[in-house]
Amino acid sequence: MPKFDHYIIIGNGPAGNSAAEVLRMHDDQARVSIISDEGFPYYYRHMLCEFISGKKKEDALKVKPASDYKEKNIRMRLGQRVERIEPETKTLYLKHMEKVKFTRLILATGASPHVVPSLSRFEKHFSFMSKYSDALKVKPLLSPARKVAILGGDLVSLKFAKMLSAMKKEVTFFLYKDCFYPFELTADMASAIEKHFSGKKIKTFADIFPSRIESKGKAFEIETENGENLTVDIIFCFMGMRPNINFIQGSGIDTERGVLVDEHLKTNVSDIYACGDCAQIYNPELKNYWISVGWENAGIQGETAALNLLGESKVIKPSQKKILDVEGLKVNTSWWKEL
Amino acid sequence: MADIDIVIEICGSAGEGTISAGEILSRHMSSLGFEIMSFDSYPSEIRGFGKCVAHSRISNQQILSPGKYTDILVVLNDSHSIPQLHAVRENGVVIYDSQPPAYHEEDKSIAGWMAPGMIAYGIPLHSLANKAAGSARGRNMVALGAMAALFGIDEEGFKTSIMKRYATKKQVVIDSNVNSFEEGYVWAKKNVQKLDHLTFSKVKLRKVTQNRIIINGNQAVAQAALDSGIKLFAGYPITPATKIMEIMGKELPKRGGIMLQTEDELSAIGNVIGAGFAGKRAMTATSGPGFTLMTEMTGLAVMAEVPAVVVNSQRGGPSTGLPTKTEQSDLSLVLAGGSGDSPRIVLAPSTVEECYESTCLAFYLAEKYQTLAVLLLDFFLSNSIRNIDEPSLPDKKMLSANISPSKTDLKDYRRFQLTESGISPRALPGTPLGMFVATGLEHNERGKPAYDSKTHLEMTEKRYRKLDGILKEVSPPTWDGPKANVDIGVISWGSTAASAHEAVLKARKVGVNAAFMSSMLLVPLNVDHFVKFSAACKTILVPELNYSGQFAAHLAQYLNRPIEKLNRITGLPMPSEDIFEKIMEIADTQKR
Repeated sequence: MPKFDHYIIIGNGPAGNSAAEVLRMHDDQARVSIISDEGFPYYYRHMLCEFISGKKKEDALKVKPASDYKEKNIRMRLGQRVERIEPETKTLYLKHMEKVKFTRLILATGASPHVVPSLSRFEKHFSFMSKYSDALKVKPLLSPARKVAILGGDLVSLKFAKMLSAMKKEVTFFLYKDCFYPFELTADMASAIEKHFSGKKIKTFADIFPSRIESKGKAFEIETENGENLTVDIIFCFMGMRPNINFIQGSGIDTERGVLVDEHLKTNVSDIYACGDCAQIYNPELKNYWISVGWENAGIQGETAALNLLGESKVIKPSQKKILDVEGLKVNTSWWKEL
Repeated sequence: MADIDIVIEICGSAGEGTISAGEILSRHMSSLGFEIMSFDSYPSEIRGFGKCVAHSRISNQQILSPGKYTDILVVLNDSHSIPQLHAVRENGVVIYDSQPPAYHEEDKSIAGWMAPGMIAYGIPLHSLANKAAGSARGRNMVALGAMAALFGIDEEGFKTSIMKRYATKKQVVIDSNVNSFEEGYVWAKKNVQKLDHLTFSKVKLRKVTQNRIIINGNQAVAQAALDSGIKLFAGYPITPATKIMEIMGKELPKRGGIMLQTEDELSAIGNVIGAGFAGKRAMTATSGPGFTLMTEMTGLAVMAEVPAVVVNSQRGGPSTGLPTKTEQSDLSLVLAGGSGDSPRIVLAPSTVEECYESTCLAFYLAEKYQTLAVLLLDFFLSNSIRNIDEPSLPDKKMLSANISPSKTDLKDYRRFQLTESGISPRALPGTPLGMFVATGLEHNERGKPAYDSKTHLEMTEKRYRKLDGILKEVSPPTWDGPKANVDIGVISWGSTAASAHEAVLKARKVGVNAAFMSSMLLVPLNVDHFVKFSAACKTILVPELNYSGQFAAHLAQYLNRPIEKLNRITGLPMPSEDIFEKIMEIADTQKR
């Protein structure tokens, strides 16, 4: 048995990092480890667009320096993938063939890009912008690209389209208003977006979607439902996110769309918690599960999970509603998406 | 075009091909035109599971020291490599086996020990090697392949270097190694997303010259001895000098010479003195424990005025000490070891180039001045691999330095004739009318034992007078930097001198008023130059690899002033970074 507790957090985003900080703040004896399959240190995801456009340098993405983890004695295991959890023996099986024991575990694995079923057959042609590694792949492709298509089903896609337009790219935007993320897009919002994009010379398809996508050399040919053909150099897909929980399947930890947790962020397995984009949180008032989105919520949940892991009994509450500006329209949202 | 200056370490177990991989890497990078300095450390045991590290500093700029911090650590064995992580830079790269054959318990895998900021690339070394050659033995080549892919090293050229390395082996061995390299290269290209910024592909290189050779200190000494016309090498194996003996065993017979493995070190030096007496150039090579034994007889070379060249490649001491670790702690022994007042020549090269130069010089001086010449290397220098311009061969004067007696001398031959230079014409055995008595006893001009005080004083003075001539034969100490009003003067010797020089150059770049001095010739020491240098410097710093500061103490008797010391006995070469830090610390103190 380890001399001291070993708290492990899987995930190196805002939820995982705030959990690690809280654990270290309240327990200076325990071992605290963050394991992440991403090799790049904790970074601002929302700055990836600026990174690929060249407005931000790599160092500006980093939330904190490596020395911060050293000072707090938080062990970082980056570029390491957990392949299996064995709750009975409290063991994690890592892809590089290492077994790591934990006394308590926080799952903060975040989420990955979602592709709507109608587009899944074309997925191999898409570029994503959800992780630093995506940005690294995209950056050299974007520079020579002249024509770009965006399959836009979330807020990030709107920002990204404007950024590409400012970079003098010829942008075609397919607006997926019926499956928009993280809130439902009203007709007013959709029309405001179209209007705004038209001013920016972004060609927008609001109700017409690709029916065929094929690669042609280095380019891609898109045929729309109304028979229009266009050729682009790169296709981006933004359809919201799906919790990263594949490796949890079969462990005995209950999952649905995400990891199911109660309002204390506890899973059905003792000493295992989940928070951030990967967690599906029970709301007793609604008698239903919710998935939260957003950096700030993830941080709050990380703190809550950590405090509860240490013996407190904090209840996670949806954050206050925020007013977002969607192309001139004010949107009230709590940043919580009902499933 | 960018500059590059990086340190790569490959760490594994003995028998895993760690040192071979490092050698291939160094040779290949050298062939591309990079400056390289490599240094291998390995266990004292002949074979087993001890730790091996192949350390290579590679740059397109001049490099003088091996580099303290690692930019890329290639892990062939996790448990051996975990202690190497402390030297990896914050944003350094670690390449490790991501698919070993069985699960490691927690923390037995290097992946669990990496510090925040390090970049880890997991490569399935075992499985790729198995796929390539049906055996995991080739994982060192898989690692090289992955490195080539990740850091922009040309694939085809690298394969050629591997083929050259194994050219004498069976085709199946060559194929296994090349295929393993290829697997690593392709896999890394396809599967690893590069997060670091290290690349060799955008570096401006110096033009590769045809006559550039890759050689380590021991090889340079051996080559220089062969080029200087050595006829006998007698020795008893000892780390780190054995390699010299091995080369001699292979090469000397081809040139009509003899390599004699003796029963001990005493016998070895006896044979060398015997050959020297017979007029043949001879040498032995040992380390501290062996030199200690030899001191019983080195005095004979001095007293009987017989040329003898002795290499002492220092290792950690005392006693059998640390056989495979480097140290500069035999200085006092070499300067003064042995009985009586026994003037000798001591040469301490600081680079591989100087290993060649000083060996040629040792044979020349020993022969001309008929005395003992000691070459003082260390484990690091002996094993430090550099790519150097092919050295100039010793000229006629260097190859035939004996001052033979003239016909007039032979009419009334006095082998130990008192002369102004201290050199008495030396007749070789068999020279008509050139008979004499050679003895370890004090003697008169004809070699006849004589113990009277006048003879002893005259003969001692004669033997010491040779030092004046020797001093004039050798270039004065290197003085790099301002000649007056220097804030910090750094004096060093042997392999540490190169690190010290690099540190001084770096300090000057950041505005520190520093100067550097070192001398390959330690005995006789060019005292005037050291005194002048000292007078020009506000503070004198002497870095060296021993605990007590042996060279600092030796200098103090001439400089008569306080000396700042920087001593390390880590078993590793002196990092120029440590000397630089010390210089900056002194500079700060001076400002206050």
